[in-house]
Amino acid sequence: MKSVGNAIPRIDGPLKTTGTADYTSDHNFPGMLYAFPVTSTIGKGRIEKLDTGSAEKMPGVHAILHRGNIEKMYRVEPSAGFSEAYLDERRPPFEDDIVRYHGQYIALAVASTLEQAQAAARAVRVTYKTEKPDVNPDLELGNTKPAPGEEGRPNVDQKNNGPGKVVSERGDAQKAFDAASVKIDHVYTTPPETHSAIELHATVAVPDGDTLTIYETSQGVVNHRNVMVQQLGMGQEQIRVISKFLGSGFGGKLFPWPHSTLAGAAARTLNRPIKLVLDRATVFQAAGHRPATKQRVRLSAAPDGRLTSTQQDYVNHTSILDDYEENCGEATPYLYSCPNLKVTKGLVRRNIGTPTSMRGPGAVPGLFATETAMDELAVLLKMDPVELRLRNEPKMDEGLNIPFSSRHLPECYRLGAEKFGWAKRNPVVGSMTRDGLTLGWGMAACAWMAERFDAEVIVDLRDDGTVRIACGTQDIGTGTYTMLAQIASERLGLPVEKIEVVLGDTTLPPGPLNGGSMATASVIPATFLASDNAIKKLLSIVSASKGLTLSGKKPEELSYTDGVVHLKNQSPGSGMPFGKVLTAARVRSAHGNGKSEGTLGKKADVSRHAYGAHFVEVTWEAMTARLRVNRVVTVIDGGKIINPKTARNQIEGAAVMGIGMGLFEETVYDHRSAAPVNRNFADYVMPTHADVPRIDVHFLDYPDMAVNEIGARGVGEIGLAGFAAALSNAVYHATGKRVRDLPITIEKLL
Amino acid sequence: VGSEILVPLTLKINGALQRVRIDPRASLLDTLRETIHLTGTKKGCDHGQCGACTVHIDGKRALSCLSVALSCQGSEITTIEGLGTPDKMHPMQAAFVQCDGYQCGYCTSGQIMSAVALMKEPIGTNDADIKEAMSGNICRCGAYANIVDAIQQVRKGKS
Repeated sequence: MKSVGNAIPRIDGPLKTTGTADYTSDHNFPGMLYAFPVTSTIGKGRIEKLDTGSAEKMPGVHAILHRGNIEKMYRVEPSAGFSEAYLDERRPPFEDDIVRYHGQYIALAVASTLEQAQAAARAVRVTYKTEKPDVNPDLELGNTKPAPGEEGRPNVDQKNNGPGKVVSERGDAQKAFDAASVKIDHVYTTPPETHSAIELHATVAVPDGDTLTIYETSQGVVNHRNVMVQQLGMGQEQIRVISKFLGSGFGGKLFPWPHSTLAGAAARTLNRPIKLVLDRATVFQAAGHRPATKQRVRLSAAPDGRLTSTQQDYVNHTSILDDYEENCGEATPYLYSCPNLKVTKGLVRRNIGTPTSMRGPGAVPGLFATETAMDELAVLLKMDPVELRLRNEPKMDEGLNIPFSSRHLPECYRLGAEKFGWAKRNPVVGSMTRDGLTLGWGMAACAWMAERFDAEVIVDLRDDGTVRIACGTQDIGTGTYTMLAQIASERLGLPVEKIEVVLGDTTLPPGPLNGGSMATASVIPATFLASDNAIKKLLSIVSASKGLTLSGKKPEELSYTDGVVHLKNQSPGSGMPFGKVLTAARVRSAHGNGKSEGTLGKKADVSRHAYGAHFVEVTWEAMTARLRVNRVVTVIDGGKIINPKTARNQIEGAAVMGIGMGLFEETVYDHRSAAPVNRNFADYVMPTHADVPRIDVHFLDYPDMAVNEIGARGVGEIGLAGFAAALSNAVYHATGKRVRDLPITIEKLL
Repeated sequence: VGSEILVPLTLKINGALQRVRIDPRASLLDTLRETIHLTGTKKGCDHGQCGACTVHIDGKRALSCLSVALSCQGSEITTIEGLGTPDKMHPMQAAFVQCDGYQCGYCTSGQIMSAVALMKEPIGTNDADIKEAMSGNICRCGAYANIVDAIQQVRKGKS
């Protein structure tokens, strides 16, 4: 039975299309109250007075909770890893009276109806001592002084993140750059972007005695539970976190945000179930974003195109109290062969809520800069950009001096070029036309890590002939329910229809975060092991049974083939289906547990990454300055693809997000109030149906056996990496305008 | 607490009469979700900007977050729950599953309600016509091409 590689429809599809899949805010409980936050309307200062008097007297209001009357909330101890108890905004809500960003939580109105809670929140009067906030979008690059701590309050992480800290270095990049005759030196910027998953962040917190069940919009229930345990000061056994369906996250729901702590503390304070659904503006303000980046890229090359030096110096903004690093240099050390390389990083503080991981954190803004720079170098060399990349294809990971596990990037270039018709490209700017429109053709490479988290899985072979597979990971829309069924199906030789998948609950064995495109790759070894252990248990049950043909046979004389137990030396046709065996033995299930260790953060002997190449065609109508993305070909070297239907959807969706990143998306902060002025979906523009062409996706499908037994890598993020560069390179080819500051809006092309 | 300001309302939803008491400020969306517990209709922006809350009011697609519930008395309201069930899906629901016209599924109710309504709308038959007519429904996962495929599959099945 071959399940891996089949493009089957999602097993949870009928729930999602009929409105019967339960997302966090769909949960309702008897006696449940509605909470709505009061948030700061200034970006910097101090709360002088909080007047809750009139709000408390409004109809239906149960409480206006604030620092003085809510259960205590605590800081989380420093995290050693992503699953211990990790979060980006470390200050618990209401900790002090200092306001550090617009939209910071100040109080929480709790009432019988949502409308009452919203009205009461609006009626709370706050008096501030206001200071001038700093939301300057122009980041200081090359300023080597340490990022300042706040007065009387050291930086949380206590480390020097001043610009210029070396991330990766080999050879002498500056010397080679100075000596070169062919070189480029440009600064690239990417703006703050907001994940903007359509599902609003939400918490439904249900107290029961001294326990708390938290329904949460979470990409990681185990980590969320671990954070809540510390922030609420409770025992691990007292908190259960559930996320059965997530209305997407893109990193925005990877780590806990303060609203969840607030809802939990409110539920404990009032001893009532609390539903807290953020409004869209608050999601923009207090639930993370991709920070602004500024990157200086210097490249030099020999006349034949071989790189002689690479330098990338980047900074990103972070919040006043937290040190969020946007790792823009992630792909730089290993993407190309180059003897001299230096990558440096730095942080710049702003009065903005804490940034967080957004789809392809680091590599996505990083590759915009470096892959646009490669195009600029190709233009300078008068060389085809595909050819330039082929000439710099490395034989090994030169950043870590280890071999690649599996890398077929040249084949991505070649296949993409063939499917796109790249050979017909005339490199002269504005030279290609069709139907009166100017065409622009651009391409770029992409890369993303292929690692694993720890994972634990339980497999139960049941007496009704079905299988239950359970893991405390989540399906955030990537297809985890379906892929787990396919993975178990592959190992157990059973049809997918026989397999029930249970996810998204901390009472299950701990599963991976949906982050770093690692969930699918992580659960494969544990699922295989759990399946094997369930089969072993099944054979021992048969051996110990009475009255069956196979009873009394030693387990090692028995075999399991595609759901049937039989004698090793006889055909499966002679055996008995496992359901019947278990029924006869009066056992509900043969149980197998599997646990596997992650690879992330551990010293590696091979370099594991996914690769790809994007080819983009834009049309440009100079008279009206109308720019459209007309055609996309993307080739992905993503290891073995478990389900081509869901995987293709991931790459197409990432390309759609790449169109948004390239052309539309930018969160703009008001320099007076520090508010994101476009904190709604009319003004934060994202691609709609009409903006998106057909996206032609191809997978190479080479298994990467260094990642897991199937050779599957994650494909959730790779499709966004490099996309905006391919798009901006196409825009240059059409218009002659090199836009180094995203997004490529109309005024930058006039 | 606060029940004194709730007002009675009768809504006809998916063919059944629902007698409820609601806060007079409540939107149709919040009334569906929080009072009647028909949670298939989703809130994405509460400002009529994303389309996740799309329902049919008297056979036409409407944004339930911008509709005051009290103004809907006497109207025929259809939600995603009124189209089909997991065991007996409406052809559009089945086509979305077949074509993978979603990822996370959160905007899906609104996409399907829009897609079903536009079958009766005077638009053209090309992909571009459908894309234009569906552009009020944002899918952040970007399953747009598959959604168009699903709609075209149902359309072609009809003709």
